[in-house]
Amino acid sequence: MSAAFEPSAGHAEWADAVGSYLLGAMPDAEQEDFERHLADCPACRHDVAELRPAVQALPVAVSPVPTPPELKDRIMTVVQSEAELLRAAAGRADVPPEPRRPRLPGFSLRPVAAALGAAALLAIGVVTGIALRDDDGDRPAGNGRVVAAQVAAPAAAEGARAAVRVRGQRGTLSVSDMPDPPDGRVYQVWLKRPGRAPEPTTTLFIARSGDIPIAGELRGVERVLVTAEPRGGSRRPSSTPIIVSRPV
Amino acid sequence: MPTRSSLTSSSQPELRSLADEDLMQLMGRGDACAFEVVYERHSGAAYSLAYRMCGARPQAEDVVQEAFVSIWRSGARYDRARGSVRSWVLGIVHNRAIDGLRRSLVHDKRRASDEGIEERFEATERTEVEAARREEALAIQGILAGLPPDQSRVIQLAYFGGFTHSEIAEMLETPIGTIKGRMRLGLEKMRLHLAPAGVTP
Repeated sequence: MSAAFEPSAGHAEWADAVGSYLLGAMPDAEQEDFERHLADCPACRHDVAELRPAVQALPVAVSPVPTPPELKDRIMTVVQSEAELLRAAAGRADVPPEPRRPRLPGFSLRPVAAALGAAALLAIGVVTGIALRDDDGDRPAGNGRVVAAQVAAPAAAEGARAAVRVRGQRGTLSVSDMPDPPDGRVYQVWLKRPGRAPEPTTTLFIARSGDIPIAGELRGVERVLVTAEPRGGSRRPSSTPIIVSRPV
Repeated sequence: MPTRSSLTSSSQPELRSLADEDLMQLMGRGDACAFEVVYERHSGAAYSLAYRMCGARPQAEDVVQEAFVSIWRSGARYDRARGSVRSWVLGIVHNRAIDGLRRSLVHDKRRASDEGIEERFEATERTEVEAARREEALAIQGILAGLPPDQSRVIQLAYFGGFTHSEIAEMLETPIGTIKGRMRLGLEKMRLHLAPAGVTP
């Protein structure tokens, strides 16, 4: 072993971990520990780089099956609507016109990146076609501001739309074409603050469409989540969120 | 507002001549046409992998949709130092499929992974691209088949089945340390055989 790949202190504990790590077979907590070790251990970083191509070859071994043609339409609908929104956002942000499509590799396209970042929130809304206002929905206004929300679980919630209207510290969730929650369950609204578990609210609903006032203040809330829970609600989420929005 | 011609047939041949890495840069600034070419190039391998892992069409379609939408939104994060665009795309598909498998409340020990890699090819060879992919698949299958069976098995249970090393240890009634060792040894042997087989993932 060359000096450049000197193992760190504590390396022995991780000697065989690299395979499991690259295969994605580590339990989450252990993976975080190993990644901290990797940062300090040139020997393990070397092993990871050396064995990565073997793992990258594995998906190539899969027997080809035909891709359903309608899948492309579904994906391109999302992508094209987001691309339109990005162009519109770039226009509003007064970004210089885009350079022509380059013909040589190695060009730089950084100037547009900032506009893309600014538009990311809006872009999320377009996925589900949310437009409760026809102007820039993230701007404070007399009537409150409207934040687009992402409806996750695309298969279950096809066509569903959601948005959160924020006025002061209060919020109203607007939904339309929501799928019914699974049998015996209701939708519950959660407020997520940075570094803390989602806090349950007493806001429960089954409505497919409508405006639902959210119980609780939005101060410091980074995300409003909606999950399907047993009737009466839960104290901690028991399913993955179907709606995610970022009011701040 | 700057305008740009929407998806037109005339823009596609120009894009199709670009390398993946250049398409990623265009995609990173919101070029849907560039994304479409990336999708056309890699969706076949992506769907095949998702189908192999999920074992069912609806779940495989959801995995591919989630993965490609996330690729579209995060194209700027592609790092060519870590491998080809194809490997990056397939890595994202793999992660999504694993998330899906681990989310499913019923932990089905009979998941698709346990069947072994040798399967019939469902698709008939229609194009040279498909024939080339089939050749590649056979080459890697050959390398996997050449590994000691206990190494090949833990690699496939982990990568295609989405099982953690602890779950595999329990399933095979073998100490975790032994499982990790087999994973590492198997991957080392695969790496040694990749270059002579002419396969560059």
